[in-house]
Amino acid sequence: METLLNPSKTPNLFIPKTHLFKPYFLHSNFNPQPHSSFNRRPLSITITCKVKTSQGRKNDGKNISKKIVLTDSAPELSNEEIKAKPKGGGKAWGVIKKFPKRVLAILSNLPLAIGEMFTVAGLMALGTAIDQGESPEYYFQKYPEENPIFGFFTWRWVLTLGFDHMFSSPVFLGTLILLGTSLMACTYTTQIPLVKVARRWSFLQSADSIRKQEFSDTLPQASVSDLGVILMGAGYEVFLKGPSLYAFKGLAGRFAPIGVHLAMLLIMAGGTLSATGSFRGSVTVPQGLNFVMGDVLGPTGFLSTPTEAFNTEVHVNKFYMDYYDSGEVSQFHTDLSLFDMNGKEVMRKTLSVNDPLRYGGITIYQTDWSFSALQILKDGEGPFNLAMAPLTINGDKKLFGTFLPVGDTDSSNVKGISMLARDLQSIVLYDKQGKFAGVRRPNSKLPIEIDGTKIVIVDAIGSSGLDLKIWALQDGTTVIVGGKTNRAKAEFPDEMNRLLDQVPEIVESSISKKPDNIGG
Amino acid sequence: MIFSTLEHILTHISFSVVSIVITIHFLTLFLLVDEVVGLYDSSKKGMIVTFFCITGLLVTRWIYSGHFPLSDLYESLIFLSWGFSLIHMVSYLKFKKRKNNLSAITAPSAIFTQGFATSGLLTKMHQSAILAPALQSQWLMMHVSMMVLGYAALLCGSLLSVALLVITFRKAIKIIGENNNFSFSFGKIQYMNERSNVLLNTYFLSSKNYYRYQLTQQLDRWSYRIISLGFIFLTIGILSGAVWANEAWGSYWNWDPKETWAFITWTIFAIYFHTRTNTNLEGVNSALVASMGFLIIWICYFGVNLLGIGLHSYGSFTLN
Repeated sequence: METLLNPSKTPNLFIPKTHLFKPYFLHSNFNPQPHSSFNRRPLSITITCKVKTSQGRKNDGKNISKKIVLTDSAPELSNEEIKAKPKGGGKAWGVIKKFPKRVLAILSNLPLAIGEMFTVAGLMALGTAIDQGESPEYYFQKYPEENPIFGFFTWRWVLTLGFDHMFSSPVFLGTLILLGTSLMACTYTTQIPLVKVARRWSFLQSADSIRKQEFSDTLPQASVSDLGVILMGAGYEVFLKGPSLYAFKGLAGRFAPIGVHLAMLLIMAGGTLSATGSFRGSVTVPQGLNFVMGDVLGPTGFLSTPTEAFNTEVHVNKFYMDYYDSGEVSQFHTDLSLFDMNGKEVMRKTLSVNDPLRYGGITIYQTDWSFSALQILKDGEGPFNLAMAPLTINGDKKLFGTFLPVGDTDSSNVKGISMLARDLQSIVLYDKQGKFAGVRRPNSKLPIEIDGTKIVIVDAIGSSGLDLKIWALQDGTTVIVGGKTNRAKAEFPDEMNRLLDQVPEIVESSISKKPDNIGG
Repeated sequence: MIFSTLEHILTHISFSVVSIVITIHFLTLFLLVDEVVGLYDSSKKGMIVTFFCITGLLVTRWIYSGHFPLSDLYESLIFLSWGFSLIHMVSYLKFKKRKNNLSAITAPSAIFTQGFATSGLLTKMHQSAILAPALQSQWLMMHVSMMVLGYAALLCGSLLSVALLVITFRKAIKIIGENNNFSFSFGKIQYMNERSNVLLNTYFLSSKNYYRYQLTQQLDRWSYRIISLGFIFLTIGILSGAVWANEAWGSYWNWDPKETWAFITWTIFAIYFHTRTNTNLEGVNSALVASMGFLIIWICYFGVNLLGIGLHSYGSFTLN
């Protein structure tokens, strides 16, 4: 690392007793090597050259470009003066023009930017610590006024500052906007001029000014052009004007911070746009049923306008799962057909988890699944469809159950046969006393006899959970909200209607809702 | 069957070798053994052996389970320790001439992560498991490996910054109070041997302060470089994660706890770089920020998994 012994900076920074902040470095008498902490490749040139390292506000150390200025004789002095901004117009404009300059100067202050970044980080951390998107009662309970956390943090803080929807709250967004403006200000005031500085050929003409540089050395009996050739071999861009030489390296490093900041600004702009101008919705549809896209999509922001594609009707042909040999689920598949308003099929595709369907600016994702109904034959009658309800257990695994009453259905204490299922593959049956009776696979046509009743499991109907998204603004045309809903349950036996009313569920999403968890 | 025995063997070998390496380091540090060079050679070889063992372990798991070995916490911890040994190998190979003391940081880190992974807490996950549907994507390789490599590099760099802080404020902390020039290990020994003839007329520093200064300079530079590398990996990891999220879950950014904490980590290290631009704040202040980064990476990588909620929940585990 250090090829020379002499320290190149004042060591004041590292003596423990002294204060952390030290003034800029003092010139030393030694002519030490150029700032080792600023080089990537230390200069090994020891001939007549001076190295001037320029220091900017938002520069990574390694991106400093190095300039080497060389002279043989001492002609007239020339100044190089870089102005950060062009001077304004006449005197009358002077005051008005000063204001944005001052604002810019304040905004591009580095400690302010660092403070903003810390604030953003802190708010984000807080956003993960506080549960998001719950109802106000939840916060009343969790952060009660009688027993405040840290002595002062109650639900009032949470709700007034908008911490329950932290990532779209005004506090957070305001800090982000401030950070964005700081970025823009800094890029404009310091980095673009730095590029100009780096590219400007600044020849230093006098020997004195060269000797004043951070690194200087004298080599008698040498020629400038030899040096130029050597420098070019070392990767510098060399400019030779008469007896003067100017070389620099590392121009690309000047562009990097600008590029990074511009990229971040673009991302922030895109995020803002999508947050205010998109639609989102999710729906759980049993196989065999359909829905219209416009029904399930809700706007997320004030700039959202619906499009023509909203009229499309989506029909779930089939929902099935692939399994590994061990019985674990390997992949979920949903076979979808899209029909336009005339009933013509415009698209057909099988979705799976990492493979969404895209049509007309709308994207449909497979996110979840649930068990819709179990179709059974009882004593040869039927088929009956029994709706399956999800049972809550700890963890990710799902469990669904249904119940077939046997005997007197009007009595208060109805006994019957229960059926549980973890996935669409096998159904576990229990008899009236709750004892385990057997396992059946759907479509196996194998009857099972429980307490005198013969049950045949015909089919297990799953339903597919789908998530829909649409991006950006498109030209709004008038929308005919589809009159067709999913009330197509009349096909099923009447006596089961009240159970089947629960199916399908249409879950309208709100702004802060996250997509369903991809469970197993 | 043969694969799992092979895995077992490799795990045990790498673990033991790393422990030996660390023991050697402690010996040189505290006992001031004279044959520093001989022992140092063997510790270097030890780290190479570790690297190959862990690589073998990962490759075996890959072949055996059919998917890239990064699907749950156990595998990502093994990958993290591999990342540490990789950093050590790269710096060893690239800077052969200079005495490279990075193993003082990488070796203990590798052993801790691997020890935790193979410990009794995670025995359920030692078997290769089937990949959940959400993880069956080409992005798994890119996103997760970039993130874990980024964590490894950033952890390494922040540990170096912590070391810098400890050395700088040694008197205040009073860790090892004696006036012994050898008390803080590695680089100083070399400097004494090679440069003993030239030093004493540097201005206003005593020789002890000078060595400490040199050491802190070295630490500062190394931590800067390693954190830069880690930052690049982290950025690529976050961006590829966003693109994958768009494919699988419908939007680029969901403010999931894991995503948010990865972003917080990114922000902290961006602050680190920005503090370094200004020479006033360089050195100790940036080291402070990097030390904070150490804690934040652990929260991001590990703490969020303990919560067990959110879209990244397959990285979680339950203590049983």
